[in-house]
Amino acid sequence: MSKEKVVLEAINKILEKKGKNPLSELDTNISLRNDLEFDSLDLAELTVRIENETGIDIFEKGIIDKISEVLERLGENG
Amino acid sequence: MDKLFLVDRKREVVKTYKDFFRDLEKTEKLENIIYESSPYLIFLKLVRSIIDGLKIEMLDYDFSNEEIKRLGISEEMLSNSTKVSDIKIENFNELIYLINKSTKNWKIALYTSGTTGRPKKVYHTFESLTRNVKTGEKFKDNVWAFSYNPTHIAGIQVFFQALLNMNTIVYIFDVNRKEIPELLSNYKVTNISATPTFYRTILPEIKEKIDSVKRVTFGGEKFDPTLENDLKNVFPNAKIVNIYASTEAGTLLTSSGEYFEIPEDKREYFKISEDGELLIHKLLLGESTEINIENGWYHTGDIVEIIEGNKIRFVGRKTEMINVGGYKVNPNEVEEEIKKVNGVLDAYVYAKSNRLTGNIIVADVVIDKEQYSEKEIEKEIYEKLKNNLQSWKIPRILNFVDNLSLTRTGKKVRK
Repeated sequence: MSKEKVVLEAINKILEKKGKNPLSELDTNISLRNDLEFDSLDLAELTVRIENETGIDIFEKGIIDKISEVLERLGENG
Repeated sequence: MDKLFLVDRKREVVKTYKDFFRDLEKTEKLENIIYESSPYLIFLKLVRSIIDGLKIEMLDYDFSNEEIKRLGISEEMLSNSTKVSDIKIENFNELIYLINKSTKNWKIALYTSGTTGRPKKVYHTFESLTRNVKTGEKFKDNVWAFSYNPTHIAGIQVFFQALLNMNTIVYIFDVNRKEIPELLSNYKVTNISATPTFYRTILPEIKEKIDSVKRVTFGGEKFDPTLENDLKNVFPNAKIVNIYASTEAGTLLTSSGEYFEIPEDKREYFKISEDGELLIHKLLLGESTEINIENGWYHTGDIVEIIEGNKIRFVGRKTEMINVGGYKVNPNEVEEEIKKVNGVLDAYVYAKSNRLTGNIIVADVVIDKEQYSEKEIEKEIYEKLKNNLQSWKIPRILNFVDNLSLTRTGKKVRK
């Protein structure tokens, strides 16, 4: 699975549980906190879901917020 | 200008100390159980109960009906109230006088995550809650950013530290994170105490250094040196302090880094067992029949390492309790709730670590696949848990598995 797909699926799983509409595609400008209103538990779930699929801890080098940063972290290691 | 008592932006509450005194005077009766969502009302009722020397209980506002029922509290008990005396408070000294006059009889029951599936009740006295409060000239101009649940012991301790110095409290626990930098700057906040998770959530919002902050305290989770550095960056004038506390005892130890030094005058109250568990003498604890004390010593469940002499470092937990962002979760309680869902045959709840909240809760679930689909059961489980458990106790990830790994004694393996 491509890294974009992993991230999109993880985000949509969380949105679905929050009763929100899923994203149809990844907009790299999206802020996880401000646009998707992810709280700390949502962000924690996101890192665990992504790590389960890719083995990469996206917060290893500090906390990030933009989808572009998430993809960057995955790219660096992948 | 009148000194501000509380700023609660989310609920649009701004109260001066004068307002607070008037509202204390106006109170005619008081429920025996405080179950409020507004921090101002929680503080008001808390202080009013002290003035009248009443015994009260404090409940988290997000406790579900189911959780409250399990604590043995009925609706009638929630509405029981006591008439309070007539008082007059003209100034701060009169408030302190009224408080000091009545502290002897006052008692408060708080709830902490228990190991047997339901929170346990711990009683605190004014003395046990204010043991670490410092007052004096040096503290009188402090402004506190309040970032704990006001019904938990850490919040109550911060409240007393602020109140007894007539400090302003800026409530940021549930405010929109984007407003936090502005609140800290505008009110010239000097002190913040929060969990590491809370700081990690707000740090990305703080784009400019905030000079007014003098002291930043964190605790409740494993020490994180990266976080310490990040905090020093945004609060350049702050001293960073790490604390070790528990609902059973309140604040016990403080340190400026990863290592805690047991203070000279408290050494006789601390002991480390042969298997490395930190033991605390019952004299430092709140009162409870539900705290397990052996020969005068309370077993904290925290495993420590002796660095040298009286210097220790926390290395982990002995018990099954899972720490999610500073909140303790009992996996047994969560498993019991999941197993109540029709079609669930068995469940196993455990922690998965991450850098944001320390842990999140994960559940492996075995279902009756012949009669139910994973999708419908997942929906049922989340619906049930949302109604019956506080949000941080709800598993963030559900795995449907064919069987759970069992040890030879038939116990589930807790990794």
